[in-house]
Amino acid sequence: MSEIWLAAHADPVANIHTFQSCMTLSNVYGQTNHQCVIADNGDLSWPPKLKVYNGTTLSYDGNIVETPTAIVSFHVDTTEPRIPAIAMAAGPYIYVYKNIRPYFKFTVPSLDINQLEQDLWNQAKADKIDVQMLHDMLDSIKSDSDSVPLTPLSTKFLQTAPHQRSHFVSVYRENPLKRQTVITALETLKKSHPDDDAISCLIIGTENKDMYILDPEAFTVLVKQSLPSQPVFLRSTGLYDVDYRILVACRNGNILVMKKGANSPKFCITLNSHPIGIERIGKNIVIATMDKNLMCYNNKIKNLWSIPIPHNITCLAGMDFKAKTFKGVLVGMDNSEVRVYRDKFLVDTMTVPDIPAMMQFGKYDREESTLIVITKSGGLHIFILKRNVDLSQGLASASMGPSPKQFQKLNVPRKTKTFVDQTLREREHGVAMHRQFQHDLYRLRLTTARNFAEALQKKMMPISSSNFAPLKLSANVQGIGPMFRLTIEVMNTSTSHPILGAYVVLVTNDTLYVLEKCYISLPLLVPSLTYTVNTMVRCTSDQGITDAINVFVYIKGKCSPVLTAIIDMPASESMIVV
Amino acid sequence: MDYSHYVCDLGKMSEKPTTNDMYGEQSDEEDVKVAAQEPIKPAPLPKAKLPDLPIIEKNNWLIHMLFINKEFEKCKQVIKEQIEMTERTCEYALYVQGMIQRNEAMIQESLESFQAAAMLNPNSLENLKQVGRSLYLLGRHKAALDIYAEAAKLSPQDPELLHNQGVCLVYLNDYTKAEECFKKALGVQKTEHSYSQLGKMHILRGDKDGALAIYKKAVENFPENSELLSVLGLLYLQMGDTQRAFEHLGNAMTYDPQNTKAIMGAGSIIQDHGDFDVALTKYRVAASVTPESHALWNNIGMCFFGKKKYVAAISCLKRAHYLSPFEWRTCYNLGLAHLTMHQYASAFHFISAAINLKPKFAPLFMLLGVALTHLEDPSNAKQAYEQAIAIETDNSMTYLNYAIMLFNSGDKSHAAAQYAKFEMYHQKKALNDPDVNALVAKLGPILHMGS
Repeated sequence: MSEIWLAAHADPVANIHTFQSCMTLSNVYGQTNHQCVIADNGDLSWPPKLKVYNGTTLSYDGNIVETPTAIVSFHVDTTEPRIPAIAMAAGPYIYVYKNIRPYFKFTVPSLDINQLEQDLWNQAKADKIDVQMLHDMLDSIKSDSDSVPLTPLSTKFLQTAPHQRSHFVSVYRENPLKRQTVITALETLKKSHPDDDAISCLIIGTENKDMYILDPEAFTVLVKQSLPSQPVFLRSTGLYDVDYRILVACRNGNILVMKKGANSPKFCITLNSHPIGIERIGKNIVIATMDKNLMCYNNKIKNLWSIPIPHNITCLAGMDFKAKTFKGVLVGMDNSEVRVYRDKFLVDTMTVPDIPAMMQFGKYDREESTLIVITKSGGLHIFILKRNVDLSQGLASASMGPSPKQFQKLNVPRKTKTFVDQTLREREHGVAMHRQFQHDLYRLRLTTARNFAEALQKKMMPISSSNFAPLKLSANVQGIGPMFRLTIEVMNTSTSHPILGAYVVLVTNDTLYVLEKCYISLPLLVPSLTYTVNTMVRCTSDQGITDAINVFVYIKGKCSPVLTAIIDMPASESMIVV
Repeated sequence: MDYSHYVCDLGKMSEKPTTNDMYGEQSDEEDVKVAAQEPIKPAPLPKAKLPDLPIIEKNNWLIHMLFINKEFEKCKQVIKEQIEMTERTCEYALYVQGMIQRNEAMIQESLESFQAAAMLNPNSLENLKQVGRSLYLLGRHKAALDIYAEAAKLSPQDPELLHNQGVCLVYLNDYTKAEECFKKALGVQKTEHSYSQLGKMHILRGDKDGALAIYKKAVENFPENSELLSVLGLLYLQMGDTQRAFEHLGNAMTYDPQNTKAIMGAGSIIQDHGDFDVALTKYRVAASVTPESHALWNNIGMCFFGKKKYVAAISCLKRAHYLSPFEWRTCYNLGLAHLTMHQYASAFHFISAAINLKPKFAPLFMLLGVALTHLEDPSNAKQAYEQAIAIETDNSMTYLNYAIMLFNSGDKSHAAAQYAKFEMYHQKKALNDPDVNALVAKLGPILHMGS
């Protein structure tokens, strides 16, 4: 357990499953104490819910319609008392809550519809064209890559089976054509004052690669901006009325810096891996990536530092400890650790009971510096930063030193007494040992050579290398006895020449085995095909005696076999008389 | 969509603001299911509005979030649902499916997913890049090159494309074209990967000077990349510039104290200087990172050998030998260690094994000669010495050992001849070994007297 955190509250069965973006700390009831608002996606199997934690209790738990994408807290008006609104993005909508009561719903502007598509459906409505025609025309629009994409209605129509198409048209033709997009990211941007409770604009990123800035009071689109890729995370600084910068982490792995008034991104950071989280620390940008790196870029997107993190990063959160003017980042890893980094220096490591899935540092209840950690298993853990903590101490110990591994003992294999004895023996009798060894080695070579020569002579190899009949033979015995089935496979290994006139002869001890066939003629052997022949073998002895069966492969006209195999028969079970 | 619509929504809400699931009536999916299952009926009343059809890209953000959080199981489930719902028309779902399949080493399946995505959107650079990458991983470099060429039509200056083309060309042994690609890629964007691939290619071609120049430039651009630094250090080491090699390897170790390549390089330099304890501390780090490296255990063994801890040396060398039985250097060292331990029979085995692996290395034959002399096999020992001299004529040690052997067998005249040769070559080299000096002091006068 880390020295700097106090465990304030833990609920391992809180059952919260969502993403980092679906969590915010805010005084939603307009009081001095802050609450934690979480849009829970129910692990994609239970209904999604909006949850508000107040102190150590769950004070609100209400169903929502769709899987939430993101949630932010912001002020929409100047009325007293100052109560912030909560904006939750889900699908194409933004649901705005005030006092945890539904307040307003905003729909992302619809996209343009292909004019030709509109005309076609109008004609279909008026029964001017038939279903087949409609299908063909829509299909041609779809395959034209330059045109405006089709609406879901037309796409669905194109996927409908031919016999259901007319029904589909009759059901859906009255529906107005609509092409909607989905919100992928949400962020706030202070409008004209930097105060904590000043009015903020909403920034929305959509699936259609657009970014909108919305007026907080009228919910009209103030700025619409096209992006090269879909936004995943948005981070803003500055004021809408003065000057601002928006960081956009895109789905293609790039990070864009958008400035006020600019039509195209001012800078672009190309990453080797997808960002898991981005945070602004002062003027710098800290990025955690999927390939276990934590990187920092400055405002001009120069890479200031980059450090490898030993485990997979699961979440990243900013940490602004105002009492000690400490600014750092919190990194959650899949070994259940939460680390605090100030710049590239590790300040603290804390082990949490499970893998952290998301974290938020900020004011909770009445405590300014609280860390809320939600684990992969859905547990909620709240930690309070000790007020008198000295985070600079951690810095000193984090400085580089010799690796502790230098002082580990080497694992040198130990030697036994036998080894030492053998060493001594060798010193005394080395010459004799050497001579004996050389002698035995010659004998071994001689025996090997003899056996090899014999095998060559008797053609006792599974593969024949002779030029006129390159054959491969394998045999196996099936059964437990007294009846066995002997299967012989022969393959012509030549690349081009077929072999004609090969036959198999089986020879065995007549007193022990009775063969069904002892001569099997082979067909024309086509190269690289396997030919299988088989015969039944009956064992006549019930004494458990075994013998071998010799298999010879001959070619007509040659008196010596091409191949020989000796099959050792298994012991036979005795006959069971029923 | 305009403002009036929002006002309308607002009005609807205010009717029943306290219900929690007030948005429930707009649930899209359930209504769609009902519509799909309904048997054919007369068209519904014209005024009744049917629900909107689900948006194809609806869950793309969710798929992406699950993917980057490495929740692959859940992600696959969402992708499966999405692909079924859209009947394989959701490009992004197919793309991520391919990424996950590749991550799970199902390369062929990932190729099919990316191809399906590329079919849906042939103008997407990203899809083509991934098709190319999967082909490359499958070893189909030619096919990958074709895909990259097609992608290059969409974006001719993409550094990633150029780099990947270069990598494929290296595999197809077309070094000139590959070099061109890497250089183009570096011209657009300087990346560590392109530098290291270009450098590797030069090493493959045996062009060490070229490789050195590349790595020098790479280190200029990426001064904190320990991988590049260590390779540059090793290159210097191979070219005999120990000073610079040590400098770069040291830098590499500062940025990454666990870089085994740098540790091994620097350790061997330290070992050459006789600082065995310092080298051993470095090797300890490497031993915890790569405990199964034969080179590491070989070097550790020789450190112990240098410290005259012969039993430990043999232990370590035998481990190295176990890890890589066909490494002649380990066999050579084992031979040397056993000779020192007076275990001549074992020494003979290791030396002859080393000779089988490396037949053209004179010191091996010299050691074999020494071993055979002690095993009382003078005729073979002589042959071994002759062989050593035939391979390398200016190794003074061979002549010295040969002379000693001949002298001990009583052949003074031949011994003197070999000794003369030893003196001839010995003076040329500034070797100052106390053992050798003692031997020379002993042997010299006797042989000179005899001659």
